[in-house]
Amino acid sequence: MRRGNKWLMSLVLTVGVGLLVSACGTGDKPAASGSGSSGGGGAAEKVYVVGTDAAYPPFQMMEADKISGHDIDVMNAIAEAAGFKIEWKNTGWDPLFDGLDRGTVDIGISSITIREDRKQKYDFSEPYFEANQLILIPENSPVTKLADLKGKKIGVQAATTGELVVQKAFGNTYEGLKGYDDMPSAIDDFYNGRVDAVVGDDGMIKYYVKKFKDKKFKMIKDDSFEKEYYGIIVKKGNTELLNKINAGLKTIKENGKLQEIYNRYFGNE
Amino acid sequence: MKGGIPLDWSVIYEYRELFLRGIVNTILLTTVATVLGTLLGLFLCLGKLSKNGLLRIPCAIYVELFRGTPMLVQILLIHFAVIPSIWEIFFPGENSPEAIYSGLIALSLNAAAYIAEIFRAGIQSIDPGQMEAARSLGMTKGMAMRLIVIPQAFTRMLPALGNEFIALLKDSSLTAVIATPELNYAAMNVAKNTFERYPPYLTEAAVYLVLTLFLSRVVVRGLEKKYSPK
Repeated sequence: MRRGNKWLMSLVLTVGVGLLVSACGTGDKPAASGSGSSGGGGAAEKVYVVGTDAAYPPFQMMEADKISGHDIDVMNAIAEAAGFKIEWKNTGWDPLFDGLDRGTVDIGISSITIREDRKQKYDFSEPYFEANQLILIPENSPVTKLADLKGKKIGVQAATTGELVVQKAFGNTYEGLKGYDDMPSAIDDFYNGRVDAVVGDDGMIKYYVKKFKDKKFKMIKDDSFEKEYYGIIVKKGNTELLNKINAGLKTIKENGKLQEIYNRYFGNE
Repeated sequence: MKGGIPLDWSVIYEYRELFLRGIVNTILLTTVATVLGTLLGLFLCLGKLSKNGLLRIPCAIYVELFRGTPMLVQILLIHFAVIPSIWEIFFPGENSPEAIYSGLIALSLNAAAYIAEIFRAGIQSIDPGQMEAARSLGMTKGMAMRLIVIPQAFTRMLPALGNEFIALLKDSSLTAVIATPELNYAAMNVAKNTFERYPPYLTEAAVYLVLTLFLSRVVVRGLEKKYSPK
């Protein structure tokens, strides 16, 4: 008898929880699509959520509890010029793309290089920044180009262009390739000698070089690295928003605001 | 596209080296941390049971520190702060050891705290009469501990130890944050690079499941059978 009661109890619980979960699941969908359509219609009051990975100074970083940096200033200027409202969200790199897929993030700006594979999944704005890849090595290192790093340990931020160029040179699963979650960790391990080199965007690496004045290192360029451009991404097919961003970007390019922001962060170059 | 559908499982094959290296390193991390953690845990436990305050208090503080703080924090602290500082002081100019060593140290130190408590519970569960009887037969305290109390306690501790080893295996995934090339690092990297979500993470989860099942069904159960009183 007691055994029977137990079975009944667990059955009721299972069905109950199952119903609850499925109710949540179905309740979620109309809500999500509803907010999507209102984004198109009520444009006046729509506040666009801008996602970023605030761990990539000086482009985007956390200062106290505020997100700041070059890209943040650029996006704020664009929104102001084009006349739309934005709200910042420090999503992190990976969830930024997930958020765009799921519709919880409308705009992504996070030093995202305009790249073919990304273009297939997201729509890019016009470029707002030109970047080069740099190799950071100890001052006494004999390395003069990327190929010289063969067999050495190379730190990168995972899934960035820096990792891509190393994968291209030495293979996708190259043993010496250390893909960190964030660039500061890779640079930290470089200073502690755990990796022999760091490959990454020049803006970031130069920023760190300034911070660690007492250490001896140098930065080199490899001729095989192509120039690349940062763009702002939106969900594929969201042309209305993309046009607004491009219009704002055009304005701040023409009135010198973009250059002014550049000078603020990289002016002494 | 939502949630990574359609699924492209070929990425697992494409990045198989990363996964294989990851599995080897995960097993290595767990095995070494289990052995070192057990040894250190035994000494910590004996220290905690000691009547000498100079031994007992530091051991108690150690256990509280490592049990009371998140392992993720311990890993970051050891990797980015403690080891580089030690190297700066004792081996200036030398490179700090690689991430996997930081992971090994963090996991071992953390496991030791938990294992010390498991040992203590096991030893204290043995009737004090056993110790008294052994002492009355002329054994020294150390002998009685080694020959009478610990072997009996060991049987009782096995299930709890098994749990700890499984927890350790799973916690080794946390070392991915310092780019230790273990299993979770492999899956995270493949997910980031390919935008595939289900294939790498499900593969990773399946491998962890196989490893924990092996630990619980084969290793721990085997030990329990061997050491259980007939």
